[in-house]
Parts: sequence; C-alpha cells; structure tokens
Amino acid sequence: MTQTEKQLTEKESLDLIAMMINKAKDTRRDTGIAAIMWGAVIAICSLVRLSEIHFGYKLPFDIYLLTFAAVIPQIYFSVKEKKKRKAKAYGDVFFDNMWMAFGICIFLMIFITGSIYSGLKPMTEEYQKLTGHSAPFHFYEFNSSFFLLLYGLPTFVTGVSMKFKPMLWGGLLCWVCCIVTIYTTVKIDLILTALSSIFAWFIPGLIMEKDYRKAKKGLAAANV
Amino acid sequence: MFKDLDPILHSQLRLAVMSLLISVKEAEFTFIREKTNATAGNLSVQIQKLKEAGYIDVTKQFRDNYPLTVCKITKQGIKAFEEYVANLQSYLGKG
Repeated sequence: MTQTEKQLTEKESLDLIAMMINKAKDTRRDTGIAAIMWGAVIAICSLVRLSEIHFGYKLPFDIYLLTFAAVIPQIYFSVKEKKKRKAKAYGDVFFDNMWMAFGICIFLMIFITGSIYSGLKPMTEEYQKLTGHSAPFHFYEFNSSFFLLLYGLPTFVTGVSMKFKPMLWGGLLCWVCCIVTIYTTVKIDLILTALSSIFAWFIPGLIMEKDYRKAKKGLAAANV
Repeated sequence: MFKDLDPILHSQLRLAVMSLLISVKEAEFTFIREKTNATAGNLSVQIQKLKEAGYIDVTKQFRDNYPLTVCKITKQGIKAFEEYVANLQSYLGKG
C-alpha cells in the first residue's frame, strides 16, 4: 500500500474494498490441536473401556477421568490461541461459545446419566434377585447414544458454517452412530464412539493443523 | 443525482482499514499493518483521522507488558461505509 494519500477512482475503490474483505476472510484459522487432542482422548477412553470389558480386567481408576484431565491442556491451548489471534472475526465469538456450551453439556450429561444409572441399579439388582434373570433393561447400554447425540451437534454446525466437509461428515457420522448404538451391545457402542471421535475430531484436526502450518509457511514466505 | 464521496473514506489507506474492520469484530494494529502493508507511522495518522471522524473506536491496552492497540468499527462507521459503497455503485452504474 502506498504511503501517500492517493485519490482513488470509483473502480479502484471497489476493487480495494473487495481485496481487503478477502484478506480479512483469512483471519480465522484453527490450529486443530484441540480437535486432535479430544479425538484422541475419547477414542482412547472408549477403546480402553472396551478392552476392560472384553478381557475382564479393571484399571485402578476410571479411564474416563482422562477427559477431566484433558480440560487443563484445553484451557492452555485456548488461552494461547486467543493471545495469538490478532483479529477477532464475528464467527470467533459464536464458535468459542458454542464449543464451551458443548463442554458444559457433556459434563452435565455425565452427571445426569450417572444419576440415572445409580438410581436404576438397585432396581435391576432386585429384579435379578427376585427372578434369577438379568434385568431386561440396562441403562448403561444407551449411554453412548446420548453422548454421540451431543458430539454431533457442534461438529456438524462447525462443519457447515466453516464449509469444512471433514467435520460436516464427522458430525453426521456421530448422529448415524447415535441411532445405531441404540440397537447394539456396549462393546459395539464403544467401537462406534471411538470411530466417531476419530472421524469427527481427530482426522479433521489433523487436516486443520496441516492447513494451518501451510498458511503460516505461506505468510512467512510472503513477508520475506 | 450523484452524491459526493465521503472524503474521509475516499483515500486508499483509510478505505483499506475500514474494509478490514467492517469484516471483523475487532483487530489489532499489527494485524491491520500486516494486511495493508502500510508503515506504522502512516497507519497511526490515518487511524487517528478515522477515530476523529467517529468511524472507529481505538482502545489501548497492555499484553505481557507490551502496548496493544485494538481498533473496532463504530455504528457511525458502518453507516458511512455502507453509504460510501452505495454511492460508488451509483457512480459506476450510471457513469
């Protein structure tokens, strides 16, 4: 841009406006680190729980506690990314709040499903004692469906809004798996949950990270 | 009948700054400088003119002990920008 007060023609003005708006569009670029981390964490939790059930052992701690531990690096990444952000796009506020609301809903869902499970447990045990048969309804078999329903929501909205197809398809996959898990066993539910988190977050996160590094390289080259 | 183009906006760097700020919620000075390729001195002068016209808000803060200037377009700025674009279009459409 020239340093003098250049007077523009009408056509030059419109071209300049279009050019600057296009430059501003490039503002939002996610590093993808949070998506990679959460994709990996949920997949690991699901697969470890699957192995516990399949091989009949029990870890000395609940593997899902890993999700609570992952909140700490998540806060660190969010603060770091916010500091790096030199401009705040209108969409940034929306996406930040939507994912924060999603996080709150997940922890509320853990609390709700936990409460329902502990409320139903004495009844199913009583049923087994009285009839000698396993109860026909086990709430934990539907746990994955509730979580997959939630996983799909912000993933799909982000995919559609950012025109980012890997997340759009990932969100849809979460919802398909949500339906399927109603009819499948806990073991299959866990496999589908792991698959959903890999396709909805881990892989899109890797793509975002690659794009981010490419854009950073391009920017560095342009400034040389 | 053609309206006169707003002289505050009808300058290359000020128009570039306004076009950037209309597209984002707020932007740091360094972001605007990167995107416009302007010198810090010239950009400061033009930002001051836009601020005096009431088209942008400028807030000065500190981050990690470094000064940080954040610019944001005002409602008056949005209105002026929209009018400017409408006038440009009428010039080009009828000219």
